[in-house]
Amino acid sequence: MTRPSVRIERRLVQRRWLPVVVPIGSLVVAFGAIAVVLLVTGHAPLPTFRRLFDAAFVADGALTNTLISATPLAFTGLAAAVAFRMRLFNIGAEGQLYFGAIGAAGIALLLAGQSAWLIIPAMIVAGAALGAAWGAIPGVLRAFAHTNEIITSLMLNYVAALVLNYLIFDSLSYWRDTSATGQLFPQGKTLPDAATWPTFTLGSVTVPFGFVVAIVVAAVVWVLYTRTRFGFETQVIGDSPRAARYAGMRTRRKIVAVLCLSGAIAGIGGASQDGDFRHVLDARGLQQANYGYTGIVVAALARYNPFATVLVAFLLGGLENAGYTLQGADFPSGLVGMMQGIILFAMLGGELLVRYRVVIERSGSLGAAEATT
Amino acid sequence: MNDGIVVVVLAAAVAYGTPLLFAALGELLAERSGVLNLGVEGMMLMGAVIGFLCVQHVGGSAGVALPIAVGAAAVAGGGCALILAFLVVTLRANQIVSGLALTIFAGAAGLSSYIGNDFELADDPARFSFEPLNALGLGDLPVLGPVVFEQTWLVYASWLAVAAVAFYLWRTRPGLNVRAVGESPAAADAMGIDVTRYRYLHTVAGGALAGIGGACFSLALTPQWVDGLTAGAGWIAIALVIFAFWRPDLCLVGAYVFGGLSALPLILQARGVTIAPQLFQALPYVMTILVLVLVSTGTARRRLGAPAALGIPYVREER
Amino acid sequence: MRGVTKRFPGVVANDDVSFEVARGEVHALLGENGAGKTTLMNVLTGLYRPDEGKIEVGGRPVELHSPRDAIAAGIGMVHQHFRLVETLTVAENIALADRQAPFLLRGREAELQVELTAEALHMPVDPGAKIWQLSVGEQQRVEIMKAVRSGSRVLILDEPTAVLTPQEAQALFRTLRVMAAEGHSVVVITHKLHEVMEVADRVTVLRGGRSIATVRTSEVTRNELASLMVGRDVEPERRREPGEIGEVVLEARGLSARGDRGVDALRDVSFSVRAGEVLGVAGVAGNGQRELAEVLTGLRPASAGVVEVDGKRLRDGDPRAAIRAGVAHVPEDRLRTGVAPSLSIASNVVLKSYRGEVSRGPFLLLRRIAARAAELIRRYDVRGAGPHAPARLLSGGNLQKVVLAREFSSRPKALVVAAPTRGLDVGAIETVHGYLRDAAAEGVAVLLVSEDLDELLTLADRIVVMYEGAIVGEVDARAASVEEIGLLMAGVA
Repeated sequence: MTRPSVRIERRLVQRRWLPVVVPIGSLVVAFGAIAVVLLVTGHAPLPTFRRLFDAAFVADGALTNTLISATPLAFTGLAAAVAFRMRLFNIGAEGQLYFGAIGAAGIALLLAGQSAWLIIPAMIVAGAALGAAWGAIPGVLRAFAHTNEIITSLMLNYVAALVLNYLIFDSLSYWRDTSATGQLFPQGKTLPDAATWPTFTLGSVTVPFGFVVAIVVAAVVWVLYTRTRFGFETQVIGDSPRAARYAGMRTRRKIVAVLCLSGAIAGIGGASQDGDFRHVLDARGLQQANYGYTGIVVAALARYNPFATVLVAFLLGGLENAGYTLQGADFPSGLVGMMQGIILFAMLGGELLVRYRVVIERSGSLGAAEATT
Repeated sequence: MNDGIVVVVLAAAVAYGTPLLFAALGELLAERSGVLNLGVEGMMLMGAVIGFLCVQHVGGSAGVALPIAVGAAAVAGGGCALILAFLVVTLRANQIVSGLALTIFAGAAGLSSYIGNDFELADDPARFSFEPLNALGLGDLPVLGPVVFEQTWLVYASWLAVAAVAFYLWRTRPGLNVRAVGESPAAADAMGIDVTRYRYLHTVAGGALAGIGGACFSLALTPQWVDGLTAGAGWIAIALVIFAFWRPDLCLVGAYVFGGLSALPLILQARGVTIAPQLFQALPYVMTILVLVLVSTGTARRRLGAPAALGIPYVREER
Repeated sequence: MRGVTKRFPGVVANDDVSFEVARGEVHALLGENGAGKTTLMNVLTGLYRPDEGKIEVGGRPVELHSPRDAIAAGIGMVHQHFRLVETLTVAENIALADRQAPFLLRGREAELQVELTAEALHMPVDPGAKIWQLSVGEQQRVEIMKAVRSGSRVLILDEPTAVLTPQEAQALFRTLRVMAAEGHSVVVITHKLHEVMEVADRVTVLRGGRSIATVRTSEVTRNELASLMVGRDVEPERRREPGEIGEVVLEARGLSARGDRGVDALRDVSFSVRAGEVLGVAGVAGNGQRELAEVLTGLRPASAGVVEVDGKRLRDGDPRAAIRAGVAHVPEDRLRTGVAPSLSIASNVVLKSYRGEVSRGPFLLLRRIAARAAELIRRYDVRGAGPHAPARLLSGGNLQKVVLAREFSSRPKALVVAAPTRGLDVGAIETVHGYLRDAAAEGVAVLLVSEDLDELLTLADRIVVMYEGAIVGEVDARAASVEEIGLLMAGVA
């Protein structure tokens, strides 16, 4: 008895159109699946898509709100993308962002009274520095003790959250608001006005300074990775650490450097949260937002390309924004997560077709009829 | 003396550690077959919410509703794990991103939250919940009484689970096979072991156990439904498996250590002791990092370490 | 096996091959590297599905969808790269293969059974030892026992003597004859003619994916087999003429180093290589040669001793220092160490030189890199892909050309080459040897580490033999005999 069998084979020839067509195809499949889910849960798909799109991009103030959601995702997405170039998974962007926020808030409070021209760059630098420092820990452990950076960076997220809690809830730290209301409700000190980051108005859209910074960072990363020796080395190390060592590259230093860079970018994201949006060290809000984890999703969907990361951050920011706006009895918050998840599943599944091909055989003992996709 | 702080903490450690233990055992099974399951948090939440749903709506007494609820929680967790298994084993997707995707899909802003809202589960406490027993009537023994004999059925079930998993891995044929699959799928495949089937089975079993772990929250510890109830327990379970060197018996120890450290601040606070709780809360994470560093150095890796093929998809005809 | 065809993207590995083995027979499958022997056997053991053809065992046709089917059909294989689980014990690995093992494992009983089986086959081994603790020869014994235990009537061995001394190989052949006498069918895959004549009853020759002939070994000569294998009249390669030999370029004194398992892999090794000279390093794999090459090129730190290049001490454990000092390295594992497989050929060409003329400050000059790559591809006749294609698409021979091109273009003073022609077909072997001859002629000091004695005897001026980490003898390559070297390789003084 012969039975048809399905085999998976590695593709030897990468067709040019694959990396473009497959993601689009996956998106189509994803939206199809989402439509089914919406039907099952009693929502009409097309009107719902329409409402989402409106709330994300079209309605009054929608783009502005979308940018607010997108900015932190751009930073954490870039952080993940930067690390992944060397096949390092920085799950710690969450904690690095917290530390960036701590650093930026601290420096802003210290420099109260100075001009914005001093404070804002100082916030960026402080955010980057503390984020880099927090990212250096998994970096050093990975480079010198071969410790898996996924788990270490994950654990450090929790420690960073605890530090945030300590600073705001359980101590009378520098960051804590010690005024009368502050004694009753634990909260952070409000940052000076000069620490408010500027915005740019394009028509009816307000673009936060942080988003512009994110685009600049994306460009810098792109140049770094495609045109410099540093980028070349990271590429080699990511592909084959043994070959990199053989070629005389200093792999361990690069691992630390890349994770520091990744942490720094996430840290700037934290600074942006202080300066662009919250104007205070908001321990609770930052922890609820899960920017770090969503950033990994952003980077994965963008296939770790810096510019695509910013774009995907924008799109996913739109989805999040739409979710908040539409939230209510007929659009429960759970739907946003489900949609994000389905899109991710579809993209991940589609990846298979890029790297492998599916061979279906109906083979008898004489000859074989092959159907290949 | 059974009201002394030490005993109270120990008893709480066992109670709070039980969901971690279930989830860690599940993760251990999946990782032993070579699959790094980062979707545990989502699976726990699904188990919690489905278990709660059952308990609120299934007819009958506690003795009927509770076991059904636990069973449903296991099925929910296993179902999520099936999605993950399909992605990473059949479609060969990246295990880390897939696990994260599942947590986003099913987790605190996803399916579990949706179900909670749709059925308005947050409105009422559980109709039935697991109460601590007075097992064998020995609840009054000093120290051992509260710690060992006054726990819920779920706790005793978890002990059985530890023994069962240990026995399975080291004393049975399929257990040996799965250990081979996790270390060297190529070798296992060449010996005729069906790598795909083993990975599927163990990932789904892992998800089922995670689901039961989640049910521990909504059916015993809290017992209520709140969005995001598990608060990161799934991630801790992943760390726990490493902390336990991928051994079930050490999972038990680790779960209670973690459980104790998370219960400690609350208990201290109730007694008016004001040490910053964060210090204790940070300890498990720091300890896990230290253990991981220890386990990762060269020769130690072979003796104590992770299944060698953890995280890598297996394709037979790679050339 | 009848009419078996197996295609991979870009190559037909097996083309309408027919092959049969009788009970109680030792049948050799002979062919040079790339002829399709391993692929054919992988089809037979269920690892690959044939595109065409059918297989019969004991007269009945079988469909093999997976290794499990093959094992059920009674076919067992001892692979060249062992399929053992390193962290499990010998007994556990054998239990994995045992189709009749009970659901509940019994530790002590299993170990006793292993001891019995081992004794019956004259292959002692400790059943409780973990695989990573065993030597390569011992691991091979475990593999054989696994195949026996799984109930196979057909036993296939893939290049079994690659990791054995000549004397150990003899012991293996005795075991194989015993198994054949007991009714097993034994297939030996090999490219070594003398093995075929020694142990096999019949031999099938594969060339270019096709089966060329099947003959009884008693009815054929070695030269005839060689011609069949290669497809033309075989002329043994010319021995290299001695060239102009200059000053000492590369010198090692008292080198010791630890291996991966914590034991000393190198013990007090000393030698020197002069400009224009080829020093061969012979020995069975696993006696320290790999570690020696790694220490000389900075990939492994030495625990004692000194390496000097042109009289200057080389910094220990630093590949970049070795590269700067003019030591080029063609590594054993060309795909995983010698190149970054997913990166383009152009990137690989500048893998070591990217800090030099192809960059300005921190920036790379991409156009210059592409030009350099195109030129080297042309000069070294690298075929199969353009400069922007990933390196892993290249065949073994072309990949080696890329590595050689890169190493030579750095104008090295010394060249450390390890197993340069492993897995290459005859044409590629000739080409690589040609480059090595050229290098020596241009005054480079060449250290050639190889398991292939013929290669060493053809190219080297002097040969040192390594055994258990130490140099146990040195011979003049043009005067020594294979027997002499073989004894040294086995540790016999």
